[in-house]
Amino acid sequence: MIRAPRIVIVEDEPDTLLMLRLNLDAAGFETSLAADGATAVRRITEEQPDLVLLDLMLPVMDGWAVLAELQTWSRAPSVVVVSAKNTARDRVRATQLGAAAYVAKPFDMDELLALLEEVSLDTGKVPAAPIRRPALEELPGLDGLEPA
Amino acid sequence: MGASRLARPGPIIQKMSVIEGDRPATSERIRREARVVGLRDVRAPSLESVERRRMQLWVLTTVLLVGVSAGFALLTLVPQDVQIVSPNAMRIGIVLLTVGFCGYAIEKELHLRKLSRMLVDERVLSTALSNRLHEVSLLLDAGKAINSVLELRSVLDVILRSSMDLLEGRSGSILLVEGEELVAASVRGNAMAQDVRVPIGDGIAGRVAVTRDALLINGAPSESDFPGLGTREDAVDSALSVPLLSRGELLGVLNVNANGQREFTEYELRALNLFAEQAAAAIANARLYEAERSHVAQLLELDKMKTEFVARVTHELRTPLTSIIAAAQTAQRVERFEEQPEVVEIIERQAYRLSSMVEKLLTASKLEQQESMSPLRAVDLGALVRIAARDFGIAGREVILDAPDSVEVLAEPDSLRRIVDNLVENAFKYGEPPIELRVQRRGATRVLLSVIDHGVGVPEHDRERVFDKFFRLPQGGDRPGLGLGLPIVRGLASSCRGSVWVDAAQDGGAAFHVELGIAEAEREAS
Repeated sequence: MIRAPRIVIVEDEPDTLLMLRLNLDAAGFETSLAADGATAVRRITEEQPDLVLLDLMLPVMDGWAVLAELQTWSRAPSVVVVSAKNTARDRVRATQLGAAAYVAKPFDMDELLALLEEVSLDTGKVPAAPIRRPALEELPGLDGLEPA
Repeated sequence: MGASRLARPGPIIQKMSVIEGDRPATSERIRREARVVGLRDVRAPSLESVERRRMQLWVLTTVLLVGVSAGFALLTLVPQDVQIVSPNAMRIGIVLLTVGFCGYAIEKELHLRKLSRMLVDERVLSTALSNRLHEVSLLLDAGKAINSVLELRSVLDVILRSSMDLLEGRSGSILLVEGEELVAASVRGNAMAQDVRVPIGDGIAGRVAVTRDALLINGAPSESDFPGLGTREDAVDSALSVPLLSRGELLGVLNVNANGQREFTEYELRALNLFAEQAAAAIANARLYEAERSHVAQLLELDKMKTEFVARVTHELRTPLTSIIAAAQTAQRVERFEEQPEVVEIIERQAYRLSSMVEKLLTASKLEQQESMSPLRAVDLGALVRIAARDFGIAGREVILDAPDSVEVLAEPDSLRRIVDNLVENAFKYGEPPIELRVQRRGATRVLLSVIDHGVGVPEHDRERVFDKFFRLPQGGDRPGLGLGLPIVRGLASSCRGSVWVDAAQDGGAAFHVELGIAEAEREAS
């Protein structure tokens, strides 16, 4: 039987954290949460997840330090960075520190889910219940909400 | 004091032109005299050749006189019958010849004397001229040196070194004006003068600073001549002290001292005074350059802070936007989630957060443009802080309140509430609980509002800058926030005619204070 991919969501903004958990749970991921870098490293060590969704601006230990820490590991999970910092320099730095992908905030939930599925496929795990992604035209009143 | 001689400088240009003007005429006269006395080397006669010529002349004269005397003696010995010419005629002839030659010798001697006097004068003048040329070239070199550097400290060092080289001084110093004092800015050869501060009017330099006249002092200066004279480790027998004036403004005083055999002359005083004019211009330039450089550094710093501010604002605005968009997209899958009411709450909460940020940005921009706020009126600060403390308590942020029941200050109610909110939020964000909110009367007319935390506090050198727009303390790091809270507090406080500052709480935390006027007192005053 195929195991659901495990993901640690690292995000210090509680509302965003909650939304990510709801959607990722529904998409068939096995989620656990961390609101700061130090907790994130502990959870990743304990749970050996397949994926990490990582914010950069975090209290106690920031996302850069988490990336640097994971880089020293022999078997580290794939990391998808989600950040409101969105300069070319940040993207390059994240890639250099081993991030698999970089998503700028505010993100489109469907695009993020698609990306996570793609990355988790690379790890050999697929979500247990891929969600149905509604086409844009199915959604009422969404004009203007689509991120540029 | 008899040994001291004070002199003031006058123009030195005149003397130099005298030397230059006389020189060609002198040379022409010397050549003429040399021709008259029959020197071989007419073009460049020397004192030695004149002496040789004089020797020749007198040896010749002596030989002639001895010859004539011998001729007379021989003439008496020769028998009468052998004589061809009459002896008397011979004698008259010899005497005439002798007198003629002596006349010639005396005339040559007079010319020779005149020539040797002229040659001595010429030698003295050319020595003086070469000395002057040496000094001028030293002055020129010094001028070039002080203009080749721009950093003030180096300029001062070059000035002092050049002036000591110029005058062969043993020690020297440059004192610069700082308020009512002269402060040693560059010192050589007298360790005791390092970091010395002299009130203007005291000692030699202090006197020069007041009178703005250069001073030459020969002999050890005494306390009775110069009240407030400083002590020094070595004796000074001769001293020069000149003012450094640039466009009529006194920048400082330049001192050069000598001891032992050396005694400065009035001429050297003038030379140093002339040099001081150049030096003062170089100091003024260096100061201008340093002011400009620090201005550029400030602008670069401001530019950097602005860039960081824009990045921060962008980040801060994106954070609630991310929650709102994520929540909105989640809400569309409403059939899947039981948490729908919570999702809608998130949208509302984050939208408010976004709106409060926009409000803050607008307030800061409004304060910047100094748009007029609503008119001031009496506001009960006691009641206002009680309500604020209650609101913070409801939000789970306990604030310790210490305020009188009622105290009316002259303010704008919304601004005052925002001042309190910003300071308390700031304390929770950067300080450590417990957070105290105090209101105290200060005398009969003022009221002090204080917000005190127990964190690490604000370093003393940043206490003014924390109220600057875009400024963030290094320990603020990546903590969320626009960094506009304190600038807004200052802007709002000043629009309420109040003042704001930060100092250290008793345990080292930060204590932010806002001082406002009591409503009644303000009304009476206006």
